[in-house]
Amino acid sequence: MAAALTNQLHALVNNMFATGLLDEQFQQLQMLQDSSAPDFVSEVVTLFCDDGERIIGELARQLDQPNVDFDRVDSFAHQLKGSSASVGAQQVKNTCIQFREFCQQRSRDGCLKTLDLVRTEFYDLRNKFQVMLQLEKQIQACYPKH
Amino acid sequence: MRQSGSAIELKQLPRLSLMARKMIRVLLVEDEKIHRVVARAAAKAAGVNDDYVLDEAENGAAAVQRVREAAAPYDLILMDKQMPVLDGHEATRRIRAMGVTTPVVAVSSDVLPADVEAFISAGADDFTPKPLSKEKLGNILAKFGLA
Repeated sequence: MAAALTNQLHALVNNMFATGLLDEQFQQLQMLQDSSAPDFVSEVVTLFCDDGERIIGELARQLDQPNVDFDRVDSFAHQLKGSSASVGAQQVKNTCIQFREFCQQRSRDGCLKTLDLVRTEFYDLRNKFQVMLQLEKQIQACYPKH
Repeated sequence: MRQSGSAIELKQLPRLSLMARKMIRVLLVEDEKIHRVVARAAAKAAGVNDDYVLDEAENGAAAVQRVREAAAPYDLILMDKQMPVLDGHEATRRIRAMGVTTPVVAVSSDVLPADVEAFISAGADDFTPKPLSKEKLGNILAKFGLA
Protein backbone atom coordinates (compact mmCIF):
# COMPACT_ATOMS: atom_id res chain seq x y z
CA MET A 1 0.00 0.00 0.00
CA ALA A 2 2.70 2.49 1.07
CA ALA A 3 4.90 1.52 -1.88
CA ALA A 4 2.08 2.10 -4.36
CA LEU A 5 1.29 5.50 -2.83
CA THR A 6 4.99 6.43 -2.84
CA ASN A 7 5.24 5.50 -6.53
CA GLN A 8 2.16 7.59 -7.23
CA LEU A 9 3.69 10.55 -5.35
CA HIS A 10 7.01 10.28 -7.21
CA ALA A 11 5.21 10.06 -10.56
CA LEU A 12 3.17 13.16 -9.74
CA VAL A 13 6.17 15.24 -8.63
CA ASN A 14 8.30 14.05 -11.57
CA ASN A 15 5.50 15.05 -13.92
CA MET A 16 5.33 18.51 -12.30
CA PHE A 17 9.03 18.96 -13.02
CA ALA A 18 8.82 17.48 -16.54
CA THR A 19 5.96 19.78 -17.55
CA GLY A 20 7.76 22.87 -16.23
CA LEU A 21 5.36 23.56 -13.35
CA LEU A 22 8.23 23.30 -10.87
CA ASP A 23 11.93 24.14 -10.94
CA GLU A 24 14.99 23.30 -8.83
CA GLN A 25 13.86 25.60 -5.98
CA PHE A 26 11.28 22.95 -5.06
CA GLN A 27 14.12 20.42 -4.75
CA GLN A 28 15.93 22.91 -2.50
CA LEU A 29 12.86 23.00 -0.25
CA GLN A 30 12.74 19.20 -0.14
CA MET A 31 16.40 19.18 0.93
CA LEU A 32 15.70 21.70 3.71
CA GLN A 33 13.07 19.39 5.23
CA ASP A 34 14.43 17.21 8.03
CA SER A 35 13.32 15.47 11.20
CA SER A 36 13.33 18.76 13.13
CA ALA A 37 10.95 20.29 10.55
CA PRO A 38 9.06 17.34 9.04
CA ASP A 39 6.24 19.54 7.68
CA PHE A 40 8.44 22.24 6.17
CA VAL A 41 7.53 21.62 2.50
CA SER A 42 3.86 21.34 3.38
CA GLU A 43 4.05 24.66 5.28
CA VAL A 44 5.66 26.50 2.34
CA VAL A 45 3.24 24.96 -0.19
CA THR A 46 0.26 25.95 1.99
CA LEU A 47 1.57 29.52 2.34
CA PHE A 48 1.99 29.71 -1.45
CA CYS A 49 -1.54 28.41 -2.06
CA ASP A 50 -3.05 30.89 0.43
CA ASP A 51 -0.97 33.81 -0.90
CA GLY A 52 -1.81 32.95 -4.51
CA GLU A 53 -5.55 32.80 -3.97
CA ARG A 54 -5.52 36.11 -2.09
CA ILE A 55 -3.28 37.90 -4.62
CA ILE A 56 -5.21 36.67 -7.68
CA GLY A 57 -8.40 37.97 -6.03
CA GLU A 58 -6.71 41.35 -5.45
CA LEU A 59 -5.44 41.49 -9.04
CA ALA A 60 -8.96 40.85 -10.38
CA ARG A 61 -10.40 43.54 -8.08
CA GLN A 62 -7.76 46.09 -9.10
CA LEU A 63 -8.22 45.44 -12.83
CA ASP A 64 -11.99 45.81 -12.43
CA GLN A 65 -11.63 49.42 -11.27
CA PRO A 66 -12.60 52.16 -13.77
CA ASN A 67 -9.17 53.77 -13.31
CA VAL A 68 -6.60 51.03 -12.90
CA ASP A 69 -3.71 51.83 -10.55
CA PHE A 70 -1.01 49.94 -12.46
CA ASP A 71 1.60 50.52 -9.75
CA ARG A 72 -0.66 48.74 -7.27
CA VAL A 73 -1.36 45.93 -9.77
CA ASP A 74 2.40 45.62 -10.33
CA SER A 75 2.96 45.40 -6.57
CA PHE A 76 0.56 42.43 -6.32
CA ALA A 77 2.13 40.76 -9.38
CA HIS A 78 5.52 41.25 -7.72
CA GLN A 79 4.24 39.53 -4.55
CA LEU A 80 2.93 36.56 -6.52
CA LYS A 81 6.21 36.33 -8.43
CA GLY A 82 8.16 36.25 -5.16
CA SER A 83 5.87 33.69 -3.58
CA SER A 84 6.09 31.50 -6.71
CA ALA A 85 9.87 31.77 -6.76
CA SER A 86 10.05 30.67 -3.12
CA VAL A 87 8.10 27.47 -3.73
CA GLY A 88 9.68 26.77 -7.14
CA ALA A 89 6.47 27.39 -9.11
CA GLN A 90 8.35 28.15 -12.32
CA GLN A 91 5.40 28.44 -14.69
CA VAL A 92 3.44 30.82 -12.43
CA LYS A 93 6.59 32.86 -11.77
CA ASN A 94 7.30 33.27 -15.51
CA THR A 95 3.73 34.39 -16.17
CA CYS A 96 4.08 36.94 -13.35
CA ILE A 97 7.12 38.35 -15.17
CA GLN A 98 4.95 38.82 -18.31
CA PHE A 99 2.22 40.32 -16.12
CA ARG A 100 4.61 42.94 -14.78
CA GLU A 101 5.66 43.85 -18.32
CA PHE A 102 2.02 44.63 -19.16
CA CYS A 103 1.86 46.73 -15.97
CA GLN A 104 4.87 48.72 -17.19
CA GLN A 105 3.09 49.23 -20.52
CA ARG A 106 -0.10 50.29 -18.67
CA SER A 107 -1.98 47.69 -20.77
CA ARG A 108 -5.26 46.71 -19.15
CA ASP A 109 -6.02 44.16 -21.90
CA GLY A 110 -2.60 42.60 -21.54
CA CYS A 111 -2.99 42.43 -17.76
CA LEU A 112 -6.48 40.87 -18.03
CA LYS A 113 -5.29 38.20 -20.49
CA THR A 114 -2.29 37.43 -18.31
CA LEU A 115 -4.49 37.30 -15.23
CA ASP A 116 -6.61 34.60 -16.92
CA LEU A 117 -3.45 32.66 -17.75
CA VAL A 118 -1.89 32.97 -14.30
CA ARG A 119 -5.20 32.03 -12.65
CA THR A 120 -5.43 28.84 -14.74
CA GLU A 121 -1.80 27.95 -14.05
CA PHE A 122 -2.09 28.70 -10.34
CA TYR A 123 -5.23 26.60 -9.78
CA ASP A 124 -3.82 23.74 -11.85
CA LEU A 125 -0.68 23.80 -9.69
CA ARG A 126 -2.66 24.19 -6.47
CA ASN A 127 -4.75 21.11 -7.34
CA LYS A 128 -1.59 19.09 -7.95
CA PHE A 129 -0.04 20.35 -4.71
CA GLN A 130 -3.19 19.32 -2.84
CA VAL A 131 -3.00 15.81 -4.31
CA MET A 132 0.70 15.72 -3.39
CA LEU A 133 0.04 16.72 0.24
CA GLN A 134 -2.83 14.22 0.47
CA LEU A 135 -0.59 11.42 -0.80
CA GLU A 136 2.12 12.39 1.72
CA LYS A 137 -0.44 12.21 4.54
CA GLN A 138 -1.63 8.78 3.38
CA ILE A 139 1.96 7.53 3.19
CA GLN A 140 2.70 8.83 6.72
CA ALA A 141 -0.45 7.10 7.98
CA CYS A 142 0.95 3.78 6.71
CA TYR A 143 3.81 4.10 9.21
CA PRO A 144 2.35 4.44 12.70
CA LYS A 145 4.44 6.54 15.12
CA HIS A 146 6.10 4.69 17.98
CA MET B 1 55.71 15.97 29.73
CA ARG B 2 56.09 18.60 27.10
CA GLN B 3 54.36 16.42 24.51
CA SER B 4 51.54 15.67 26.90
CA GLY B 5 51.12 19.37 27.70
CA SER B 6 50.99 20.23 24.00
CA ALA B 7 48.36 17.57 23.44
CA ILE B 8 46.20 19.01 26.19
CA GLU B 9 46.63 22.50 24.81
CA LEU B 10 45.68 21.33 21.31
CA LYS B 11 42.64 19.50 22.61
CA GLN B 12 41.50 22.60 24.46
CA LEU B 13 41.98 24.93 21.52
CA PRO B 14 38.68 24.31 19.70
CA ARG B 15 36.72 24.63 22.93
CA LEU B 16 38.50 27.82 23.91
CA SER B 17 38.02 29.36 20.48
CA LEU B 18 34.32 28.46 20.58
CA MET B 19 33.99 30.06 24.01
CA ALA B 20 35.83 33.16 22.81
CA ARG B 21 33.64 33.42 19.72
CA LYS B 22 30.90 35.97 20.16
CA MET B 23 27.28 35.37 19.26
CA ILE B 24 26.55 36.42 15.67
CA ARG B 25 23.44 38.55 15.33
CA VAL B 26 21.52 38.58 12.04
CA LEU B 27 18.47 40.71 11.25
CA LEU B 28 16.13 39.44 8.52
CA VAL B 29 13.90 42.21 7.14
CA GLU B 30 11.05 40.70 5.13
CA ASP B 31 7.29 41.31 5.03
CA GLU B 32 6.15 38.08 3.35
CA LYS B 33 5.79 35.11 5.66
CA ILE B 34 6.67 32.57 2.96
CA HIS B 35 10.07 34.24 2.44
CA ARG B 36 10.72 34.38 6.19
CA VAL B 37 9.90 30.68 6.58
CA VAL B 38 12.21 29.72 3.69
CA ALA B 39 14.98 32.07 4.90
CA ARG B 40 14.76 30.65 8.44
CA ALA B 41 15.13 27.09 7.12
CA ALA B 42 18.01 28.12 4.85
CA ALA B 43 19.69 29.84 7.79
CA LYS B 44 19.36 26.72 9.92
CA ALA B 45 20.79 24.57 7.14
CA ALA B 46 23.67 27.03 6.67
CA GLY B 47 24.58 26.59 10.32
CA VAL B 48 22.83 29.63 11.75
CA ASN B 49 21.68 28.05 14.99
CA ASP B 50 23.55 27.78 18.28
CA ASP B 51 26.11 30.52 17.67
CA TYR B 52 23.71 32.85 15.92
CA VAL B 53 20.69 34.94 16.80
CA LEU B 54 18.24 35.46 13.92
CA ASP B 55 15.87 38.38 14.52
CA GLU B 56 13.09 39.32 12.14
CA ALA B 57 11.43 42.60 11.15
CA GLU B 58 8.32 42.73 8.97
CA ASN B 59 8.99 46.10 7.32
CA GLY B 60 11.67 48.73 6.91
CA ALA B 61 10.44 50.92 9.76
CA ALA B 62 10.47 47.99 12.19
CA ALA B 63 14.00 47.19 11.00
CA VAL B 64 15.23 50.75 11.64
CA GLN B 65 13.68 50.63 15.12
CA ARG B 66 15.26 47.23 15.87
CA VAL B 67 18.69 48.47 14.78
CA ARG B 68 18.30 51.66 16.83
CA GLU B 69 17.18 49.84 19.97
CA ALA B 70 19.38 46.74 19.71
CA ALA B 71 21.28 45.97 22.92
CA ALA B 72 24.23 44.81 20.81
CA PRO B 73 24.88 45.78 17.18
CA TYR B 74 23.82 43.39 14.42
CA ASP B 75 26.56 41.63 12.45
CA LEU B 76 24.48 41.27 9.29
CA ILE B 77 21.22 42.69 7.93
CA LEU B 78 19.34 40.89 5.15
CA MET B 79 17.04 43.47 3.55
CA ASP B 80 14.02 42.94 1.27
CA LYS B 81 13.10 45.70 -1.17
CA GLN B 82 9.34 45.97 -1.48
CA MET B 83 7.68 46.22 1.93
CA PRO B 84 4.78 48.16 3.46
CA VAL B 85 5.36 51.21 5.69
CA LEU B 86 9.00 51.69 4.61
CA ASP B 87 10.76 49.98 1.72
CA GLY B 88 14.22 48.40 1.79
CA HIS B 89 15.98 51.27 0.03
CA GLU B 90 14.76 53.89 2.50
CA ALA B 91 15.32 51.62 5.49
CA THR B 92 18.92 51.07 4.37
CA ARG B 93 19.44 54.83 3.92
CA ARG B 94 18.09 55.52 7.43
CA ILE B 95 20.24 52.80 8.98
CA ARG B 96 23.33 54.26 7.31
CA ALA B 97 22.30 57.78 8.39
CA MET B 98 22.43 56.50 11.99
CA GLY B 99 26.11 55.75 11.44
CA VAL B 100 25.58 51.98 11.47
CA THR B 101 28.26 50.14 9.47
CA THR B 102 26.77 46.62 9.74
CA PRO B 103 26.89 44.85 6.35
CA VAL B 104 23.51 45.14 4.62
CA VAL B 105 22.77 42.51 1.97
CA ALA B 106 19.81 43.26 -0.27
CA VAL B 107 17.60 40.27 -1.02
CA SER B 108 15.18 40.83 -3.89
CA SER B 109 13.57 39.14 -6.87
CA ASP B 110 14.13 42.32 -8.90
CA VAL B 111 17.54 41.56 -10.31
CA LEU B 112 18.05 44.03 -13.17
CA PRO B 113 21.35 46.00 -12.96
CA ALA B 114 19.32 49.14 -12.16
CA ASP B 115 17.64 47.37 -9.21
CA VAL B 116 20.98 46.23 -7.82
CA GLU B 117 22.51 49.68 -8.33
CA ALA B 118 19.59 51.37 -6.53
CA PHE B 119 20.17 49.19 -3.46
CA ILE B 120 23.94 49.74 -3.50
CA SER B 121 23.38 53.51 -3.85
CA ALA B 122 21.08 53.36 -0.81
CA GLY B 123 23.97 51.92 1.21
CA ALA B 124 23.75 48.14 0.78
CA ASP B 125 27.05 46.24 0.62
CA ASP B 126 25.88 43.36 -1.51
CA PHE B 127 22.91 41.92 -3.36
CA THR B 128 21.54 38.40 -3.69
CA PRO B 129 18.48 37.28 -5.65
CA LYS B 130 15.48 35.73 -3.91
CA PRO B 131 14.80 33.15 -2.75
CA LEU B 132 17.50 32.73 -0.12
CA SER B 133 19.10 29.29 -0.09
CA LYS B 134 21.55 27.51 2.18
CA GLU B 135 24.33 28.09 -0.38
CA LYS B 136 23.59 31.79 -0.88
CA LEU B 137 23.44 32.42 2.86
CA GLY B 138 26.60 30.41 3.45
CA ASN B 139 28.41 32.53 0.85
CA ILE B 140 27.16 35.75 2.44
CA LEU B 141 28.29 34.67 5.93
CA ALA B 142 31.70 33.69 4.55
CA LYS B 143 32.07 36.92 2.57
CA PHE B 144 31.56 39.03 5.68
CA GLY B 145 33.69 36.83 7.93
CA LEU B 146 30.74 35.43 9.88
CA ALA B 147 31.00 31.73 8.97
